[in-house]
Amino acid sequence: MPIEAPLLEVRNLKRFFPIRRGLLRRVVGQLRAVDDISFHINRGETLSLVGESGCGKTTTARCILRALKPTAGEVLFQTAAGDVIDTAALPKGALQPFRHQMQMIFQDPFSSLNPRMTVFDIIAEPLLANGVKSRDQRRQRVEELLELVRLRPEFMQRFPHAFSGGQRQRIGIARALALNPSLIVADEPVSALDVSVQAQILNLMLDLQDELGLTYLFVAHDLSVVKHISDRVAVMYVGKIVEIAETDRLFKAPKHPYTEALLSAVPKPDPRLRSERIVLAGEVADPAQPPTGCYFHPRCAHAIDRCRSETPKLEEIQPGHVVACHRAREITLKGVDAQSNGKPSA
Amino acid sequence: MANRLMNGNEPPPILTVDKLKTYFFTDEGTVKAVDGASFAVRPGKTVGIVGESGCGKSVSAMSILRIVDDPGRIVAGEILFQRADDAEPVDLAKLDAEGNEIRAIRGGEIALVFQEPMTSFSPHYTIGNQIVETIQLHQDVGKAEARNRTIELLRMVGIPRPERRIDEYPFELSGGLRQRVMIAMALSCNPKILIADEPTTALDVTTQAQILDLLREIQERTQMSVIIITHDMGVIAEMADDVIVMYLGRVVESGPVDEIFHQPKHPYTQALLRSIPSIFAEPRTKLPTIAGSIPHPHNRPAGCPFHPRCAEFMPGKCDRHEPQLRPVSASQLASCFLYHEPDI
Repeated sequence: MPIEAPLLEVRNLKRFFPIRRGLLRRVVGQLRAVDDISFHINRGETLSLVGESGCGKTTTARCILRALKPTAGEVLFQTAAGDVIDTAALPKGALQPFRHQMQMIFQDPFSSLNPRMTVFDIIAEPLLANGVKSRDQRRQRVEELLELVRLRPEFMQRFPHAFSGGQRQRIGIARALALNPSLIVADEPVSALDVSVQAQILNLMLDLQDELGLTYLFVAHDLSVVKHISDRVAVMYVGKIVEIAETDRLFKAPKHPYTEALLSAVPKPDPRLRSERIVLAGEVADPAQPPTGCYFHPRCAHAIDRCRSETPKLEEIQPGHVVACHRAREITLKGVDAQSNGKPSA
Repeated sequence: MANRLMNGNEPPPILTVDKLKTYFFTDEGTVKAVDGASFAVRPGKTVGIVGESGCGKSVSAMSILRIVDDPGRIVAGEILFQRADDAEPVDLAKLDAEGNEIRAIRGGEIALVFQEPMTSFSPHYTIGNQIVETIQLHQDVGKAEARNRTIELLRMVGIPRPERRIDEYPFELSGGLRQRVMIAMALSCNPKILIADEPTTALDVTTQAQILDLLREIQERTQMSVIIITHDMGVIAEMADDVIVMYLGRVVESGPVDEIFHQPKHPYTQALLRSIPSIFAEPRTKLPTIAGSIPHPHNRPAGCPFHPRCAEFMPGKCDRHEPQLRPVSASQLASCFLYHEPDI
């Protein structure tokens, strides 16, 4: 583990959305989209944020980029100059010089590229916005970037509609890389792509990380995709992080019952593994009216009285493995294991 | 063709699609969405149709139900459906798409579950109204009786407090519950075949597990046939008995699920299985990829549609001649010149 400070450290981040009702639009409650989460990402690594829809993973990503102002908490980002800034606290104007160091890759390559702009204009726009005035310089940089994402530079005068979904996603990646960012936030970057193209984009992201020393925050719901790209994984449930561990550990030996259920629910691409899945009863809790105690207790097979009354805190049960579960030390959960050819391992 | 899949003592298939061609005649040219697809559905079994976007899996299903919209139409092929056990099969492809016979079959004997449960319901009517309407359309029952049956159906698909939920509007339900209601509506007339088009794609993984379990459980109880259409190999592995792999409007391979996953014969099936991200992979390993991307339907390659991306491409053969779906083992069919010579 590197001793240097992490590139990004999120401390007690909260983002609530007011729920308004009635004629006077009075605030009648708070939707706790992100509810006191903390994690860090080291330089050069990939942390994945996984969870089901509404768990707050996208809100977290948007708070980090300050596309949304957090309700509370700190987002500490180490800038290229080595200073640490709190992007949650800085006024918007003061943030401007650092914005180019964190960039985003979007989910849908069809709606995230302007159909009226050529590929050159799309990729050169961030350059222009950041003061690269010479058109030749911009052209040269766009050529470099297209080669970096394995597209032919001759294509730069074409419009997005001439490209397939996978190629468009490459254009989106080239745009994100234009200003040499250190942190890339990728929100479901492959979930809108065909399966045969997903692998190409995942491989490209792995290559670019090695070549450019990028740090990824990878937001996804697909655990198979997450397994391929991540160094560490954080699992979210109803606005809270329930478990963080190194990828291999999390998949082989999950410590939170929700992680176990998520892993078990993934359809395994082998008909010989049709096994007894853990099928969770009920539905994801409502973040506007979360249950008492541990938010997962109404669906948890291991819940005891304490889980109904007391909210569990994230606790480090092994170096680098943190879990928010009262019973993490006493219960044995099943993970998935490559060595046993997918048969659940204890 | 498809008959070769069966053993001698199996009952005949309930649905046989033979060389089906459904084309869309647009201003820019003809899109051959389904171009000579053949497959069979056995009674009480699940067929999984798998393929990427543009492979024709959804249009195949729409062709069976005769809900292909203009400018699309079925231009060739047969869709033989065994309505009653003793009768001659009906060719759905020849029926009038607005006629009485297909309207009795559609939603009655063959039902459909859509991908997006939010857009496939009318937002103006309660879920109860919509199911009652379906029941009364296909069966001669009174309103009170239809309502009671609706409550029973909602209970069967695991909706809590169905007596109250029946009067709710679609927007009041979560995605998972809406998909259960969709399934209840599809089951309301005891269909012989349930077509599920990406039934869990819009759902979260734990909800997906619930819905797949529900479908399996209902099939065990009712012995209906299921056609499940998906791009997710995991869902196919969990659900299907027989698998049809499609690429650009063609069936490239078909066979029992175990053979498809463990002895795939067509280079596309093999490449697809290798390239899917797996939960069993070692972290941070690269995946083998399929080169290129799916061609635009207007630029369909000549010969075998997969040849520009194929690792086994044989120049002069694959780019000139069209391979046929032929037996490649005791139970599998594949459409590839690795297994047969071009007919010249």
